[in-house]
Amino acid sequence: MDPLVYVLDLVVFIGIFGIVSLSLNLEFGFAGLANFGKVAFFLVGAYTYAILSQMGVPFYLCLIAGALTSAITGFLVSLPTLRLRMDYLAIVVLTFGEILRLIIKSEAWIAGGAWGIAVPRAISVAGASARVDVLVNIGLVYFCLFICFMVVQRLSNSPYGRVLRAIREDEVAAEALGKNKAKYRAQTLALGSAMAGVAGGLFAQYIQFIDPYMFMPMLTFTVWIMVILGGPANNWGALLGAALVQIFDKGALIAKDYLTLPIDPTDLQYILFGVLMILVLLYRPGGLLKESQVKTKAMERIRCGRNAVKNKGSP
Amino acid sequence: MEETLLKIKEVRKHFGGVYAVNGVSLNIKGGGIWGLVGPNGSGKTTLFNTILGLHRPDEGAIYFNGKRINNLAPHQIYTLGLVNAFQIPRLFHKLSILDNMLLAARGHQGDRLLNSLFLRKNWQEQEVELADKAMKILESLELDHLALSPAGELSGGQRKLLEVGRGLMASPTLLLLDEPAAGVNPNLGKKIFEGINDLSRDGLSFFIIEHRLEILFDFAHWVYVMDKGKIVVEGKPEEVLEDPTFYQVYLGE
Repeated sequence: MDPLVYVLDLVVFIGIFGIVSLSLNLEFGFAGLANFGKVAFFLVGAYTYAILSQMGVPFYLCLIAGALTSAITGFLVSLPTLRLRMDYLAIVVLTFGEILRLIIKSEAWIAGGAWGIAVPRAISVAGASARVDVLVNIGLVYFCLFICFMVVQRLSNSPYGRVLRAIREDEVAAEALGKNKAKYRAQTLALGSAMAGVAGGLFAQYIQFIDPYMFMPMLTFTVWIMVILGGPANNWGALLGAALVQIFDKGALIAKDYLTLPIDPTDLQYILFGVLMILVLLYRPGGLLKESQVKTKAMERIRCGRNAVKNKGSP
Repeated sequence: MEETLLKIKEVRKHFGGVYAVNGVSLNIKGGGIWGLVGPNGSGKTTLFNTILGLHRPDEGAIYFNGKRINNLAPHQIYTLGLVNAFQIPRLFHKLSILDNMLLAARGHQGDRLLNSLFLRKNWQEQEVELADKAMKILESLELDHLALSPAGELSGGQRKLLEVGRGLMASPTLLLLDEPAAGVNPNLGKKIFEGINDLSRDGLSFFIIEHRLEILFDFAHWVYVMDKGKIVVEGKPEEVLEDPTFYQVYLGE
């Protein structure tokens, strides 16, 4: 295979998982929601895309539909847990993801069951080489990533993001300051799930075939590693984490082809992940990048005023 | 001065077999400083938490501005202008002091998802004004030089000040303060009460729990004394000081 395609393929995966990582960062990093069922919303987006595109619906509508169904699912799943402590949300979404996957697997009439379902490419250029094909995908994926990044970045630098952080820090105090925590949590989960749904759709059309075994709970934990490694409540950190984990992941696959090791590189990769996580949590518990501050016009004005006074003070 | 702002009718709240609040009724009229004193464990903080909606009363009713509030959620009560500062400060430690202040503002348009995402014009100017107001309050509390540092870096006394500052930031109609001067150095404690006094002249009402009676009795114009979940004495500070029950409550039989 063309070695450049390896690299471009990696770039596509970084983009797709960058979106998922950003969405978990919104939920966990900013709002403190322990979404241990990320894969469920990724799955909903992927299958919505697959089913609709097989019916001949244009790809952009499939992506939007994937985002919507995923957002609605996120909202519904969160309803019973919004007023409870955060651990309950983690338990509910974790099991929900597995239940959903098993339903898809056993009910063949939905989307081919365990045999999976073929998905047409979003944009196929007639007679294009593998390289061009991947490049087109990079364009599509990074366009979506850009939009998602703008959304979360805007929210994190707004009063809304400030409220999310406050709920994360102390939910009772936030309620006592007039913030309706149930509403904020439901909105955040819906928005985060919508983003995961888009990523699921992009994933499905890129690999052109999905089956239930691609949506194991391990995927959720991989995304968690991305966020914790990169630095929760920092959107650049979420992207950095996604890139590092994907490079590691794909690196192990390539290493498999070229290296003869006494153990399987995929297993070795899991061991290294574990060690890496322990090291990060020990020495940089806040992740590689620090939590970003809320930057709004008003905050910047005060900050600038402060610096002006400082500069005057020191000759 | 005549309108009844907060009306509490026969409120009871029990935990297990103990009635922490056992049939309290009181009327707070607009304007002025209202004190609530009593020995430890007499139910003062529980009464406050019940007013704020953090506890549901088992019996009784609470009205604020004529509206029944004892079945509302804490965030709804806050929106009505009944605001509180916790006894043990509950700050958002990773957020800056200014962020903590801005979170306390009532009716910040940017707190809505769509405004924050798309309609930034709807709140940017408002937030600039709110930030100016926050800086003024911080200045009066001598915290303005720390405005951009994380709240977690403050000392115990400064945390207490910020907690009070957040209460003021909400521009409430009635502000409940749970021991505002505890843990603050004596000079500043006095200054806090002088500030409260000035604000009360501007029409803001205060309901204050305070163990430092010498300060509270200088400023309050009406004092409730609570013991074992009940109001045992009430009146002007000088009247309360002459009441034998008041001494019994504090010094024992």
